Amino acid sequence: MGLDKPGVLGSGTPAFLTTRLDFVVNWARRNSLWPMPFGTACCAIEMMASAASNYDLARFGMERMSFSPRQADVLICAGRVPYKLAPVLRRIWDQMMQPKWCISMGACASSGGVFDVYSMVQGIDTIVPVDVYIPGCPPRPEGLIYGLMMVQEKIRGESLANHAALRAEDPLAAGRPRADDEEVSDLTGPFGNSTHQNRVSGLVETDAIGRAEDRLP
Amino acid sequence: MSGFDLVAAGPGMGREQSATDTAEDSVAPGNPSVTALREHFAEAVFRNRICAGDEDVVYVDPERITDILGWLHEDADQQYDHLADVTAVDYGGGRPLEVVYQLWSIPHRAALRVKCELPLDGLAIDSVTGIWAGANWLEREVYDLFGIRFNGHPDLRRILMPDNYAEGHPLRKDFPLRGRFSRAEQTRRALTQDPEDYYVPGEIAERIPQVVETGSGAEGAAAGADDV
Repeated sequence: MGLDKPGVLGSGTPAFLTTRLDFVVNWARRNSLWPMPFGTACCAIEMMASAASNYDLARFGMERMSFSPRQADVLICAGRVPYKLAPVLRRIWDQMMQPKWCISMGACASSGGVFDVYSMVQGIDTIVPVDVYIPGCPPRPEGLIYGLMMVQEKIRGESLANHAALRAEDPLAAGRPRADDEEVSDLTGPFGNSTHQNRVSGLVETDAIGRAEDRLP
Repeated sequence: MSGFDLVAAGPGMGREQSATDTAEDSVAPGNPSVTALREHFAEAVFRNRICAGDEDVVYVDPERITDILGWLHEDADQQYDHLADVTAVDYGGGRPLEVVYQLWSIPHRAALRVKCELPLDGLAIDSVTGIWAGANWLEREVYDLFGIRFNGHPDLRRILMPDNYAEGHPLRKDFPLRGRFSRAEQTRRALTQDPEDYYVPGEIAERIPQVVETGSGAEGAAAGADDV
């Protein structure tokens, strides 16, 4: 039975542990989250600072930046994304293997930020599904680490029982916008989708989205 | 008028003092090139002025831009061998667009700014890529963002905006800040592009001819033997 060998908790204890499969799978997943850095602007500077020795993302399982999307678990989109870069972002997301998560780091990636202009994607959640939004312009490394730990919390709640539903991907959706036209209009109203996020939060009253004339130039 | 009134008045307002309308024909230039230009191209040099204290600006005839810039490039007393920038300015209000050539003479350590005014219904000018090869991408940028066509340019296509961009030329004053299409349409169009269209290895190989030099001496002779 293995009782005669040195055990996991010292001599004389069992050399095996029993646990739930969900727990051990989630434990492995959340403590080896390799980020795919998609840094396009100043947020990427903070992301690099987070990975460097002072903040040291490796402590939390983001052991190395995976510059190949095929070996990455979490896409960190740090910075503004112009429309010309949108197909690149979508392709990188499509190339990542399941299970995968996405972090939208900073105001520009989350909502377009101050760049409510002709060339800029108004929130990458119109392009790819986003798990965690990190506010800030740019967020400090603590913010990014907190966002990654929220992803870890999210993983903790997952179960293999609903894995198929959680991780379902429509193969025909590859290379397509995540949001349909109606949702894009909603997300990208005046002042970007920060207004949308305010509204759905229920905490802030705003009728800005309702003014259709503001949506179009 | 205060600054806020000018903002409220819209683009191009409050610029009545600008060179486009009422600048004096000529001020004493600090740069000898301006005097020389007036001697050589008397009728093609419309006026000159001094900006920001000591920067000489010359307004010239767009029809003769390649003659003038070619002369500035070649003449022994000028030698403007560095084209620092080509850009354009739209003052709005139906005023002509200005194409700006920022020149620098490395031997003489002198700067000169040459401007051409193009009417809105005739946005075309000759390309200067024959004089400075570096003008290639600069003129593409001006074409992309202002819609000014450069006659004789070897490869006049968009450089910053996507190839399939159909909303116009973004830096024109009549271009709406958020573009002409809805955000949904812009998103859909953006994702129809293929990122690899911008990085085609065949295209790069085609535009940069691969020159294989055959060295002289024994190695060259051996290589020549292999060719046969």
